Amino acid sequence: MRLLPSLALVALFAISGCAVEPFKSEAPARSGASKGTGSPAGSAPVLSAPPEVAPPQPGAEPGIEAPVPATVPRQRPKVPPATMSPASKALVAQAEAQRKKGDLPGATQSLERALRIEPNNPLLWIEMGRLRMDQRNFTQAENLGRKALAMSVGDDPTQSQAWQLISDSLRARGKNVQAQEAAERARALAEQ
Amino acid sequence: MAKRRRSSRSRRRLQRGFVVLTLLLLVVAVVVVAVLSHRVTRQFEGRRWTLPARVYAQPIELYAGQSLSAERFAEELDRLGYQSVSKPDRPGTYRRRGSVIDVHVRAFRFADEPQEARSLRIAFAGGAIASLQDPQGADVPITRLDPMLIGSIFPTHGEDRIVVSPDQVPALLPNALKAVEDRKFDTHHGVSPLAILRALFVNVRAGQIEQGGSTLTQQLVKSYFLDSRRTLGRKAEEAVMAVILESRFEKADIMNAYINEIYLGQDGRRAIHGFGLASQFYFGKPLAELDLPEIALLVAVVRGPSYYDPRRHPERALERRNLVLRVLAERGVITEQEAKRAERSPLGVAEAGRKGAVFYPAFLDLVRRQLRRDYREDDLTEAGLTVFSTLDPLLQEKAEAALASELARQDASPRKVSHGLEGVVIVTSPATGEVVAMVGGRRASFDGFNRALDAKRPIGSLAKPLVYLAALETGRYTPASIVRDEPVQIKLPNGDVWKPANFDKLVRGNMPAVRALTQSLNLPTVNLGLEVGLGRVARAFVQLGLDEKPAEYPSMLLGATNLSPFEVAQMYNTLANGGFRSPLRAVRAVLAESGKALKAPQLEVTQAAPAEAVYAVDRMLVEVMSRGTGRPARKSLPEGLVVAGKTGTSNDYRDSWFAGFSGSHSIVVWMGHDDNSQTGLTGTTGALAAWSKLMSSIPTSSFDPLMPETLEIRWIDYYSGLETSPWCDGSAVGMPFRYGTPLMASDACPPGSETPAEPLLPEETAEAVP
Repeated sequence: MRLLPSLALVALFAISGCAVEPFKSEAPARSGASKGTGSPAGSAPVLSAPPEVAPPQPGAEPGIEAPVPATVPRQRPKVPPATMSPASKALVAQAEAQRKKGDLPGATQSLERALRIEPNNPLLWIEMGRLRMDQRNFTQAENLGRKALAMSVGDDPTQSQAWQLISDSLRARGKNVQAQEAAERARALAEQ
Repeated sequence: MAKRRRSSRSRRRLQRGFVVLTLLLLVVAVVVVAVLSHRVTRQFEGRRWTLPARVYAQPIELYAGQSLSAERFAEELDRLGYQSVSKPDRPGTYRRRGSVIDVHVRAFRFADEPQEARSLRIAFAGGAIASLQDPQGADVPITRLDPMLIGSIFPTHGEDRIVVSPDQVPALLPNALKAVEDRKFDTHHGVSPLAILRALFVNVRAGQIEQGGSTLTQQLVKSYFLDSRRTLGRKAEEAVMAVILESRFEKADIMNAYINEIYLGQDGRRAIHGFGLASQFYFGKPLAELDLPEIALLVAVVRGPSYYDPRRHPERALERRNLVLRVLAERGVITEQEAKRAERSPLGVAEAGRKGAVFYPAFLDLVRRQLRRDYREDDLTEAGLTVFSTLDPLLQEKAEAALASELARQDASPRKVSHGLEGVVIVTSPATGEVVAMVGGRRASFDGFNRALDAKRPIGSLAKPLVYLAALETGRYTPASIVRDEPVQIKLPNGDVWKPANFDKLVRGNMPAVRALTQSLNLPTVNLGLEVGLGRVARAFVQLGLDEKPAEYPSMLLGATNLSPFEVAQMYNTLANGGFRSPLRAVRAVLAESGKALKAPQLEVTQAAPAEAVYAVDRMLVEVMSRGTGRPARKSLPEGLVVAGKTGTSNDYRDSWFAGFSGSHSIVVWMGHDDNSQTGLTGTTGALAAWSKLMSSIPTSSFDPLMPETLEIRWIDYYSGLETSPWCDGSAVGMPFRYGTPLMASDACPPGSETPAEPLLPEETAEAVP
């Protein structure tokens, strides 16, 4: 029973060129690959294609504030847009109702509940970020947006929302140029 | 005449002197009373709240898909005091029919909103909740059980005790105390002059002070100031304070304070104060559940906790308990019949190694400290607070069991040095930084010294991932970068020469970074750390969550830095969270008695280290578990579960550490001796065993974060660092690199080779995908 979804996933990864390289410790999955391109999971597209875009400048230190390069070096395979479970949906709706009543601490608690159930759902981190905007905690709003970005690689609609949140948080702090850049990224991702 | 005048003058002078002296004495007395009054009142005020803060564990969330079996759910209901009935129509009742449980959930005031009592039908399938419906058959998206009460505390006081409020005290206890210890309690003014006289008489006759004659109030005062000197002056001081207390506070408050304060026994170096803790200590259950003979025993122990110690001197204790029972019957507190029956029952004292699952002193200490750090003092002294904590009781139980079984295994080992070890376990949720379990020692108890928070020990090789993180952060290093496994000598400022060596004293030459970290080799790490710079490595500690930069000695590269298990848990939680730092927290929210939420710190997230560097370090820590020092864990871990981690051993085997994480749990284990003597254990032989026992006994998920989009996986040879093909032989290892990173290709098996060395079994393939 439980094997079926796993196999489906194997096939999906292989077909999609394996964006989600699982942290497996032994040699790569041969049969998974054979269903797809006939070469090991994760490595085939990389080995066969030369770099299309210039690699990041050497010596550029990836600082915490480092801007993400405007041109993504390589098209990472797309994944389906994130969705929420019914439980998370109910909690987000509850948080929204609390927010409307002005009960921001209550709304925080509700969203935290959802996050404990689905800690890897970027949509929930974006919701939390929006709530921080209401609380005028703009730095945290941006941080939460960045967290959402990190867990939505390959999911353009969600990345777009995260960039919009980041843009709003930057604008609220008067960082208009960066806010504009972030907004453009959000727009570009929404169009894809 | 003159003589008479002189004598009358001298008499007058004498009188005047007498008046002055009296006035002076009076002033002194007033001052003394004022000082004593201030002292005793402050002490009492600090503890008199009849309603301590109640601390709750995290509630069990109920929603379709939640991994929870019908068996475990029924267990949880039993633990929360739900009754199994044939018709669950009242809150707090349930009925199980196979894989369907009907439950009437109790109402509870949560921090976000109150939850009404409600009936639910829950169907289970395959170890998870299949559906959740209300009585009308409509799906309920999510709800939760009322949480478990895990303790009552006074947030502003740092003691290890279980505070009980009057409603948690069986009515018999105060009555019995009065009957046995202080018959005039309800009417006296703090002291009983007759009793004092009697005591004085006996004492003078005996030539030394032997008998108390103290009222309950005097005993309370004595306990406050913990002065065992039995001088007359001391006694007088106590008596004055007792009178002051009585004049200022109600009898009921004084009785409640007494019940929470009085000394009732000794657990190693830890004093047992208060009937709440004593009830756990002697009987392993809450005070409210004690029966007559048990209450009588505690009352018997009051007179001499060591002389009447029911574990060490059961006959004496039994004799005195029965004396108490007879006194109670004589004074009409209980009937003759009740006394007779109770006298026949055994002492009923629980084994010393009692179940710890009901009392969480280390975790409650953390709750108390975080409350004091994060909340306003005025808010905390308010009565009747409700504290919502992050503790997961099931995980806590598993953590205690895993540590206990490993300590027991060490106790039975032929090596004397590994007997009687202590240990700490901390479990956190990477994404939120919540502390879900915390064990502070083998007895799950402590006397003010909380090892998990206060024991600062050298972290050994747990420091190594930070060296590699600092290196990768510069952008000049990758997991394939060659590091030198060769001897190094460093002259220290004091003239000494530091000559580190590998654990096995061997030297292997050049190798890629991934191998050096995976095998926890000292020399390559030191060489790399010196190249990168101590300042950068020290900065990595702070990035991951340490409050202060560690001292920048070369030996810090090998973990000479002293850190507490809690600090390590913070740093590794940041690694487990992809470089996002969330301060570890034990408190979710606090409600005032009015139902209003107190202003509280919220979930915080800060990108502390570049995601790419952290991803690479994490990936190397996965290798540690599959082919490095963490490999022995594979024996007990479920097949296919991907975890990452690092061993740590301090000099001369004094500390055994393991820190590591799955996708949903980050766990730190420390084992060592309190006196810092040798344990004979490495991180692999000691802490790792407890760690893997725990990790394999909890429902958890594989560590499988998304790779940052600037990275790609390429295969390198584990021994040479040359780029190769995954099919070459067992030595190819997949590591993340920035797109376009130049790598030298292997001649023997260059990238692109298509022939697999050994075919893999299909099952392994399926499990490789979490």
